[in-house]
Amino acid sequence: MQPLSIRKLNVWYGRQQALKDISVDIPRRQITAVIGPSGCGKSTLLKSLNRLLDLNEQVRVTGQVLLDGRNIYDPGVDVTEVRTRIGLLAQKPFPLPLSIFDNVAYGPRIHGLANGRLEQLVTEQLTAVGLWDEVKDRLKAPAAGLSGGQQQRLCLARTLAVAPEILLCDESTASLDPLSARGIEDLLRALKENYTLVMVTHDIDQARRLADHVIFMWLGELVEHGPAGTFFAQPREELTQAYLARRIG
Amino acid sequence: MNRRKVRKLKEHFFLWLMRCFLAGAGVVLGLILGVIVWRGAGALSWEMVSQPPQGGFYLGQGGGILNAITGSLYLALGATLLAALVAVPVVLYMHVYGGNGRFPHILRLSLDIMWGIPSIVYGAFGFSLMLLLGLRASLLAGVITLALVVLPILARTFDEVVRLAPPHLRETTLALGTTRLEFLAVLLRQTVPGLVTAVLLAFGRGIGDAAAVLFTAGYTDNMPESLLRPAASLPLAVFYQLSTPFPEVQARAYASALILTLLVLAVSLLAHLSSTRLGRNVIR
Repeated sequence: MQPLSIRKLNVWYGRQQALKDISVDIPRRQITAVIGPSGCGKSTLLKSLNRLLDLNEQVRVTGQVLLDGRNIYDPGVDVTEVRTRIGLLAQKPFPLPLSIFDNVAYGPRIHGLANGRLEQLVTEQLTAVGLWDEVKDRLKAPAAGLSGGQQQRLCLARTLAVAPEILLCDESTASLDPLSARGIEDLLRALKENYTLVMVTHDIDQARRLADHVIFMWLGELVEHGPAGTFFAQPREELTQAYLARRIG
Repeated sequence: MNRRKVRKLKEHFFLWLMRCFLAGAGVVLGLILGVIVWRGAGALSWEMVSQPPQGGFYLGQGGGILNAITGSLYLALGATLLAALVAVPVVLYMHVYGGNGRFPHILRLSLDIMWGIPSIVYGAFGFSLMLLLGLRASLLAGVITLALVVLPILARTFDEVVRLAPPHLRETTLALGTTRLEFLAVLLRQTVPGLVTAVLLAFGRGIGDAAAVLFTAGYTDNMPESLLRPAASLPLAVFYQLSTPFPEVQARAYASALILTLLVLAVSLLAHLSSTRLGRNVIR
């Protein structure tokens, strides 16, 4: 069974329909890239997967998002558990108003994951995102003092420290300089050994570099999806061909 | 004249206009401070701040205004604390659980109206409440009435600070699987420097208010000893001393005003230091 399955998902912002009848499976331990032009609903799709859409009062959702077979939109579902299992790396790096150490320790603390080895856990996560050597001497310093690329790696460490199974990335390199962006890309590529990743990107080249599986969206509809190899080499739909050739978008 | 010259001239004109008004504001502040220092510094003595009034104080005899200094600190601190205990949960509730509907709108409107009500009205309200409950003028009645005066200031100032918190903070925090209460704690950490400013504004307003405490806390030459006994306050001490015909007592009124100003200044500095420290992790 796939870890995440989307079934007939529709999303409305007020009267405007943002997602139309989306059905697709997210394969385990692969990178699934959601591509499409601005406003096609890719961010909405991503935020529907961990119920962050709930924060918008105007939103109405029908259909199902099945996490290990259970619909996360069922009334009895604990939304904090969903968001613990499905982490998010946002578009802009946004540290919490805490020190570097406390940013990573925050999740384990509230979820009670540390079991008395909090420092070890923080060290591990900071090492995993390649930040340890840069910050080990100033763990108590404000996280806001880090550079943009460092902050984004810190945010990744903070998300991973909660031990999610699935990681959502919302154009997570878009606001970074090219070098930092490459650093994050390398990290994401390494992470698919242990995590299922869903990334939204408007950058076709980035999707080519990273994705194992691609979902192409257009005006709220899923146009085409499939393994990256065949998707890029032999797109079936005319719309996909035009988008990949950058004739539209 | 060509267009570029006109634009440059405009820039210069308004720049100097703004500088003039800035200087005007500075001069007014300087004059106020100058007058109370010039007329009060001579009367300022250790006796003044270390003793309550003695017999014949208002005729120019010995003693000081320790009763009013202590009373004012109790009144303002008590009122600010009480107001903060109500305002902080209300504002955080409004932002975290209140949504975008009518509730926050009505709450803000009510607080704005409360802010606009003159403090003598609160004084009269507190007074009639005391009569109703059969209480007499007391420190407690003063604290409660003054808390009503400063509550809207504290709540609305803090509200504006929380409104300015980055919108991504909510999404980022909740995406980690936090409950809304845990998010509330993060929001408080982000807004703590602004909260300190709000508390300070409320304290400054509270310690300087005479009308709200006139009937409710009353006035006494004794030191405040109990919540249920009357308490003196600095604004009223200034008033009573200034209304005597004796120049030496009037000079002490200015000295009392100077002490009041210095107290507010000291609290401001303290708050500024603590807010810098508390706000070191804040995301800007």
